[in-house]
Amino acid sequence: MADLSLPKTIDPPTWLGSLEGATAEQISSALAHALNSTAHRERWKYTKPEPILAAVADPAIAPVIHGAEQPGVMVTQEPLDQALPGTDVKQGPEALARLCYAEQVWVIKVTGHLALPLHVHHDGNTMPVLIQLAANTSLTLLEVAANSNPMQQTVWIDVGENAELKHSRNALDDCERHWQYLNVRLQPSARYCLNNHVSGSKLRRQDIHLILDGEGSEATLVSAGRVGRQGALDQQVTVEHRRPRGSSQQTVHNIVADGGKCTFNGRIHIHEGAAGTDAQLSNKNLGMGEHATINTKPELEIYTDDVSCSHGATVGTISQEALFYLMSRGVAPDMAEALLSQGFLRQCIDGPLAETALESLIGGAMSA
Amino acid sequence: MSLLNVTNIHASVIAEDGPQPILKGLTLDINPGEVHAIMGPNGSGKSTLANVLSGRPGYAVNAGSATLDGADLLELEPFERAQLGLFLAFQYPVEIPGVSNMEFLKASMDSLARARGEEQPNTAAFMKRVRELAASLDLDPAFLKRGVNEGFSGGEKKRNEIMQLLLLDPKVAVLDETDSGLDIDALQTVAAGVNRYRSESNGVILITHYQRLLDYIVPDFVHVLSNGNIVQSGDKTLALELEAKGYSWLT
Repeated sequence: MADLSLPKTIDPPTWLGSLEGATAEQISSALAHALNSTAHRERWKYTKPEPILAAVADPAIAPVIHGAEQPGVMVTQEPLDQALPGTDVKQGPEALARLCYAEQVWVIKVTGHLALPLHVHHDGNTMPVLIQLAANTSLTLLEVAANSNPMQQTVWIDVGENAELKHSRNALDDCERHWQYLNVRLQPSARYCLNNHVSGSKLRRQDIHLILDGEGSEATLVSAGRVGRQGALDQQVTVEHRRPRGSSQQTVHNIVADGGKCTFNGRIHIHEGAAGTDAQLSNKNLGMGEHATINTKPELEIYTDDVSCSHGATVGTISQEALFYLMSRGVAPDMAEALLSQGFLRQCIDGPLAETALESLIGGAMSA
Repeated sequence: MSLLNVTNIHASVIAEDGPQPILKGLTLDINPGEVHAIMGPNGSGKSTLANVLSGRPGYAVNAGSATLDGADLLELEPFERAQLGLFLAFQYPVEIPGVSNMEFLKASMDSLARARGEEQPNTAAFMKRVRELAASLDLDPAFLKRGVNEGFSGGEKKRNEIMQLLLLDPKVAVLDETDSGLDIDALQTVAAGVNRYRSESNGVILITHYQRLLDYIVPDFVHVLSNGNIVQSGDKTLALELEAKGYSWLT
């Protein structure tokens, strides 16, 4: 296996050097090492990393942001001169490299309870976005990536003490190549919820790294994905519990058409000292044909006692009992199958972007 | 002509170690307006009869015939049997998260209307009708937005079956132990629903273990099923006799 490498040399920002206590050369070397580590290779086992890695230095455009005119939020474009709390060379070397290549980042600072949602629209390769919620603030963030050209986004979020972020994200267009990296750090008693709606694409990869870095913080991830006949989707989720009494819940449903390929890797890492952690992960997959490919792996790493942790992954086909129930009411098999597969996804479609997601992933459906 | 005719049915359940014969030459004739109660000990074939008639996978019919309004039921897929006018109230209704009750009922009504060449019901009028039916069966209309049978109590599931019976208005209803697991209030509600459904033009097969249900839904005939066949038929007094004496004197 050839070594993975970055497309060009990096010039790390000074804060990174001070954070890592290292010179530029040492950081480059650490990145190269991280890219080729066994753990990292494992995260790219089912998707070729080269096309995404080759593009991390590509020129970026600005995301389109709406809702920044209201009190309590300030949006600026500036050089990245401050340390990002969630940076982790080992966990996300490509994302960190992308930060190093970016000359500018978009910084969204939230200092109050925002009355209206903030929209962030990605229409291609967009610059890294850094969202900071001060203590005791709240935000509803609507993020949409929509373009058929290759896209990549790196989004870094820091949720302050007792702040709350409701994040809805749609990536539903068919796209040549799409990589989304999301890193969220939660401070004490912070609350974060992500409603993620995604379709398969020629190549679509979502890396999600949630860090419960404050006591009593809460993270929820609910995701619905649909992968079409020639589509691919690779989701890699890491939830780190670093402090006591955090809780996290992940519910991820993916449906994969005949010929489609879907990969899910959900890792829960409970650090030493994170006593009283409650971490749950459920990944369910529905394969709709003999040639649907589904790879799923829940992983647990627990270094403390006194935690409640559960994880489960299922791969299956439509329930024959449910199918018979619908058919016994006169519903033809193809329609019954459609209803059941829609129902499977709908369980994970929620939040302010749900309507678009329902339309795209399921098609028009009657509501009661 | 009878509404439902079952003649000399032999049927097996497909088990891992091969087919197990359950029904052994059962014959039953139901005319419009009749309610037939079928009683019998565990394992006698009561549920198998319901499953074979509705076309549930996992059963094989080895001989005999079953017709509804003269049409051969056994040749048809389960959804076609329903479209023809057969309804099975499940002993264990299935939970379907993510598919709302209202959506499910609409899909069912639309399918039946399409198959019969009728106009599909107007959505607003349909929803109003469903809400009224739900209320009449003491079902909170909020349940219509929830997943089919999702998180329902046993009683709510059975009342949901009866609501579907009233909505779909089939020619023949097969109720498979609809009374099991019901408290006395729910039993009366369910029975009242079945009595509302009864008419001179339809027929009911009422499968039950207990005479109690027959206090509320008075049958025209009572049959005792044993070892895959009807061993005794009579009127409602037979059920009282069974209650007093058990099945052993017959089987």
